[in-house]
Amino acid sequence: MAQHPVIGYVVWAVLFGALFAWEGLALSHISGVPTLSDAFRAIMRYPFGRWALFALWLWLGWHIFIRGWHFLLRG
Amino acid sequence: MSSSLLRQDVLPVAVGYLLLMGALAAGLRLTWRGGHPPAPARGGATAATRDGPAGTARDGHPAAAGWLRLVRHYAGTAVGGYLLLMAVVVLYYYGVARVGGPFIRSAFTGCALLIALSAPVFALASWLTGRRRSRAGRRHADPPAPRATP
Repeated sequence: MAQHPVIGYVVWAVLFGALFAWEGLALSHISGVPTLSDAFRAIMRYPFGRWALFALWLWLGWHIFIRGWHFLLRG
Repeated sequence: MSSSLLRQDVLPVAVGYLLLMGALAAGLRLTWRGGHPPAPARGGATAATRDGPAGTARDGHPAAAGWLRLVRHYAGTAVGGYLLLMAVVVLYYYGVARVGGPFIRSAFTGCALLIALSAPVFALASWLTGRRRSRAGRRHADPPAPRATP
């Protein structure tokens, strides 16, 4: 595995932590902030928003499941 | 299974899954505790998703019309999203990062494969959801007959 500066990992951890914290706050109805579902619903009202989200989903799936794919769990 | 596979693949996926499920469970628990009913579908839902693929439950349209609408909606989203991603991939990787050839070919074929694999699953899930909704609708429409009492 390639060596990267720790700060890079910390930034990712903080970003994901903030995402979960924001979602938790929204779901607890404390502050009236929109949940991720609300945000996605607002984006998906428009065709271009749906295309962008689908493109994002494809990009993620392509990177995770298709690129460099080999037989399931081959060591 | 090698230890590197466990460490690099299985463990991060499992931790991510547990975090996501934990956040969702906590949110649901808080929602129920606060006495909030589950939110109904709001204005963002499209006609196809709102009525369900069967299209019979609420508006009385024939089932085929509902399916046709769903297929058109899905095809429009999938084709639009695919073309948008391919445009971005070609512009960025070919024009900026200068990574061409097999990489871009892999993007075209890989994303198409992903759509081909997911479409039948999506259709099956939609069919099951529509069937469940129509069954629930029938159950509500036919309440049990009142018992004849002397």
